Amino acid sequence: MIFTDNYSGLFLTAIVLLLAGAAASLALRRGRMGSIASFVPAFGASVLLIAFSVMVITSQSKLQTSDAFWSSIPELSIDLYVDGMSAFFLLILGLVTLAVSIYSIGYCSHYNRDSRSLGFLFNLFVLSMVIVIASNSVFSFLIFWELMSLSSFFLVIYEHEEELNIRSGMMYLIMTHIGTAFILASFLALFVQTGSLSFDSFRNHALPMPHYIRDIAFILAFIGFGAKAGLVPLHIWLPKAHPSAPSNISALMSAVMVKVAIYGLVRTTFDFAAPSTAEDVWWGVTLIIAGSASSIIGILYAAVENDIKRALAYSTIENVGVIVLGIGISAVFQSFHLASLAAFALLASMYHSLNHATFKSLLFMGAGSVVFSTHTKNIEKLGGLIKKMPWTALLFLIGAIAISGLPPLNGFVSEWLLLQSFLSSYHIPSLALQVLISLAGVVIALTIGLTLATFVKIFGITFLARPRSEAAKSSHEVPRTMLAGMAMTAAMCVILGIMPVIATSLISNSFRLDGNQLPQTLSPFAALAAPAGASSNMSPGSLALMLGCVGAFAIGVFSIGGRKTTRRIYSTWDCGFEGLDERMQYTASALSQPIRVIFRTLYKPYSDSEVSYFSESNHYLKKNARVEVYTRDLFDDLFYRPVTRATIAVLDAVRKMQTGKINAYLMYIMIALIALLVYAGVSR
Amino acid sequence: MLESPSLFGYFIGAVQALTLVVLAPLFTGIMRKVKSRTQKRIGASVLQPYYDLAKLNRKDEVVSDQSSWIFRFAPIVILTSTATAAVFVPAFLPSSPFGIAGDILVVLGLFALARFFTILAGLDVASSFGGLGASREMTISAIVEPALFLTIFVVSLNLGGTNLSTIVSASSAQFASGVIILPSMLFALIAFFVIMMAETGRIPFDNPATHLELTMIHEAMVLEYSGRSLAMIQLSQSIKLAVLMTIFVNIFVPAGMSTAAGGAYAAVGVVVFVVKLALVAAMVAFTETRVAKWRFFRLPDLLAVAIASSMLGIIYFYFWR
Repeated sequence: MIFTDNYSGLFLTAIVLLLAGAAASLALRRGRMGSIASFVPAFGASVLLIAFSVMVITSQSKLQTSDAFWSSIPELSIDLYVDGMSAFFLLILGLVTLAVSIYSIGYCSHYNRDSRSLGFLFNLFVLSMVIVIASNSVFSFLIFWELMSLSSFFLVIYEHEEELNIRSGMMYLIMTHIGTAFILASFLALFVQTGSLSFDSFRNHALPMPHYIRDIAFILAFIGFGAKAGLVPLHIWLPKAHPSAPSNISALMSAVMVKVAIYGLVRTTFDFAAPSTAEDVWWGVTLIIAGSASSIIGILYAAVENDIKRALAYSTIENVGVIVLGIGISAVFQSFHLASLAAFALLASMYHSLNHATFKSLLFMGAGSVVFSTHTKNIEKLGGLIKKMPWTALLFLIGAIAISGLPPLNGFVSEWLLLQSFLSSYHIPSLALQVLISLAGVVIALTIGLTLATFVKIFGITFLARPRSEAAKSSHEVPRTMLAGMAMTAAMCVILGIMPVIATSLISNSFRLDGNQLPQTLSPFAALAAPAGASSNMSPGSLALMLGCVGAFAIGVFSIGGRKTTRRIYSTWDCGFEGLDERMQYTASALSQPIRVIFRTLYKPYSDSEVSYFSESNHYLKKNARVEVYTRDLFDDLFYRPVTRATIAVLDAVRKMQTGKINAYLMYIMIALIALLVYAGVSR
Repeated sequence: MLESPSLFGYFIGAVQALTLVVLAPLFTGIMRKVKSRTQKRIGASVLQPYYDLAKLNRKDEVVSDQSSWIFRFAPIVILTSTATAAVFVPAFLPSSPFGIAGDILVVLGLFALARFFTILAGLDVASSFGGLGASREMTISAIVEPALFLTIFVVSLNLGGTNLSTIVSASSAQFASGVIILPSMLFALIAFFVIMMAETGRIPFDNPATHLELTMIHEAMVLEYSGRSLAMIQLSQSIKLAVLMTIFVNIFVPAGMSTAAGGAYAAVGVVVFVVKLALVAAMVAFTETRVAKWRFFRLPDLLAVAIASSMLGIIYFYFWR
C-alpha cells in the first residue's frame, strides 16, 4: 500500500499499532499487564492519528493510495484517500481515543472478568472506524463499516449474562443492518450512473448526473447514515445499545461512531451529490426537520430518564440532531448559492461535532466511573458522591457545564455559531423557508433550555446532597488513569471554549470553507463574527479573562467592605422538625416531574403506586407509600410496535403456503413457470 | 466588525458597567417602595437594599453540614457571571467598548451559568425546599428559552445583529429619525416584558418577597444562604433585574439616549437612563400588584403568549418589511 505523500508513515504506523494492540490483548492475560498491552498501543495510535490529521489539514494536502492494494480486481481494492474532510473526522477519532484508551487502562484492569476479548474488540473497533473514514471505494467502506458494526455489537453484548444486554444488542444489530442496506443502495444508485465503485468517480461524476439519481442517492444515504447516527425515528436502538456496552465503549460509540455516520452523511451530501440548485432545497429542509425532531425528542427523553447512561445516550440523539440541523441549514444556503453563509453553518455544525465528541466522551467516562464505584446506573440510588469522588465530580461538572452550552466552555461557542446561522436565515429568498428556519430556531432554543435542566438534574442528583443508598455511601475515588482520561477531555472542553480560533481554523482548512468570516490571527482574544450583513460578534477568550477580572474584583470589594466573618457548620434548616434524612430530599423523578407534566402528550406517563395504612379503617394515617413513575417511548408505541405486528401478521399468512407436501410445491413451480411464460409472451 | 476602542474608551465602559452595578440595588428599592405604596403601606426606604447588603456582609455565615464546595463556590460564580453580563450592556452610552467580547447571547449565557449554579446550590443542601425550587426553576428556564430566542430573532432582524452596541445605536438612531416603534418590535416588546418577569422571578411567575414554601422558586433555592454569600446572591438578583430592564429600555424605548460622545452628553445620558429605569421599575412593580401569582402549571400558557407574540413579530417583519 503506497501513499503518494510524506505523512503516510504516521497513518500506517497507527494501523499497525492497532493491529498489534489487538494481537497483544489476545495474547496477554487479564489484569494490569493485559490492560496496558491492549490500551497503550491504542493510545500510541491515536497520538499518531492526531499528528497525521493535523498535518494533512494544515498542509491542505491529500493522501491517496497510488495503486490499489489488490489491484487484480479493481472493484475489490482497499483504496484509501484522506483529504481535509476525512482528516477532520480522524482528528475527532484520535482525540477521543487518546483519552478513552488512558481511561480504559484503569477501568478494565479492575473489571472482574477476562478483559482479553474487550481489548481485542476495542482495537478492532477503532481500526475499523479509521479505515471507514479513510476509505475511497464502496468495497472497503462497506467491509470496514460492517467490521465496525460487528465489533461494536460484540462490545454491546460484552456483559452477556444480562438478558437485557443481549436484547439491546440484537436490536442494534438489526437496525444497523437496515442502515447498511440503505447505504449500499445509495452507493449502487451512484454506481448505476458512474459505472465505477470508486469514490473518485462519484466525486468527479464525469457525466453530469441526472437530478433523480442524486435525489435517490441522497435520500437513501440520509436514511442509512441517519440510522447509524441515531436520528429520530431510527434512533430506538441507540438508548438501548449505548448504555449496555462497557462505559469506555459507550464513550467511543457515542462520541466517535456516531460521528463516522455524520462523516458519511457529509461526504455524500456535499461531496458526491452536492446541492447546487434551488430544486435541491428539499434536501436541506429534510435535514432541518429531521435534525429539529431528533434534538427536541432526544432531550425530552433525556430530561426524564433516571438511568445515567441512558440519559446520556438520549442526549447524544439530541446532539446529533443539532449537528444534522446545522448541515441542513448549510445545504439550504448552498442551494441558493449563499456560499459564505453555507460555510458558516457548516462550521457551526462541525464545531458542534468536535465539541460533542469531547464532552460526551467525558460524561460517559464520568458515568463509567460512577458505575465503577457504586455498581448502579440509577441516579435515584446515588447522591453525595462529590464528597467521596471529588475529582470525578469536578470533571463531570465541567462536562455538564460544557454540554449545557454555558460560557466560557466549548458548548456555548458552537451554540452561538449555530444561533447566528439561524439569525442569518433572512438572506434566503423564500418566505416559507425563513419561517421554517425560525421555527427550527425555537425548537433548538427549547432544546438548549431542556439540556440545562437535564444536566443540572443528572449532576445534582448524582453528586450532591445526601447519599441515597449504601452503594453511594461506600463509593470511592477511581484510579488515576481513569481520572487522567477524563481530565484530557475536560481540558479540551476548556481549550475549545476559550480559544475557538484553534477549531475554526482547523475546520475552515479541512472543509476549504470561505475563510473571510473567521478570525485570521491565532490570538485567543480574537473575536468570532457572524456572517456578513449582521453585526454580531463575541470573543470567548476575552470573556473568560473578563470573568476572571470581575470575579477577583467582586471578591475584593466584598472582603474589604465587611469585617472578618466566620463560617459555622450547622445542619440544614428543617423547619424545627428534627432529623432530615436522605429520603426527604428531592428525587430525580420529582425534579423532572413538571417537565413530565408539561410534555405529557409525548411521554404518556403512568405510575405504579402502593400505599399501606396503619389501620384499614382509617385512611388518613399512612404507614408506607411508594410510587414509581414510568414514561413511554412514543415511537415504540406508535411506529415500531404496529410495524412489528404487521410484519408478523404478513409472515404468518405467507407461512400457510409452506405445507410440507411435495405436490403443493410442484404446483407453485408450475404456477411460477406459467406466469413467467405469460410475462415473456406479453413483453415480447 | 467594530474597531478596537482606545484605553479611555475601555475606562468609560468600565465606569458605565460599574454605575449599572452600583445603581442596581436602588432600582430594587424603588420597586419595593412602589409596591408598598400601591398596597397602602409606607414601605422601607429606597436605600434599604444597600443597608441589607452592608449588614449581611458583616454577619457570620451558617453553612449546612450536608453541603459541598458547590454551595460555597456558587455565590461567587453567580455574582461574577451576572456582574460580567452588566459589562456588555450599553446603559447610558449607546455602546459598550466591551461589545467586541460579547453580545446579547453572551449576556443570556452568563445568566444561564448563574442559574445553573443557583439550582445546584439548591440541590446541594439536601432539603426538600432546595429541590422544590430547583425543579421549578429548571422547568421555567427551559420553557422561557424559546420565547427569548424568538424575541432576539425579531430584534436582530430589525436592528441588524445581536451585538448590543449595534442594536442600541440602531434603535436610538431610528428613534432620532422619528420612528417611535416598528410594529414587529411592538410584538417583541410584549414578549420581552413577559420574559423579563419570568427571568427575574416576579409575579405572576414567582414572588420575590415570599417565604411561603409552597409558592417560592428562587427563594427556595437560596434558603440556606446567610451572611456574605446571601449578600452576593441578593446583589446578583438586583444586577440581573437592572441589566434586563436596561436592555429593555435601550432597545424598545431609546428616547433620550445620547447619540454623540462627550462629557455633557454622557451626563444627560446618565440622568435620562436613571429616570427611564426608575419608570420601568415602577411599571414592573405596579404590574406585580395588579396580577395574582399564577399556578405553576399555567405558566407555560403565559410563555406561549410570549412565543406567539414574537412569532407574529417575525412574520410581520417578513411580510411587511
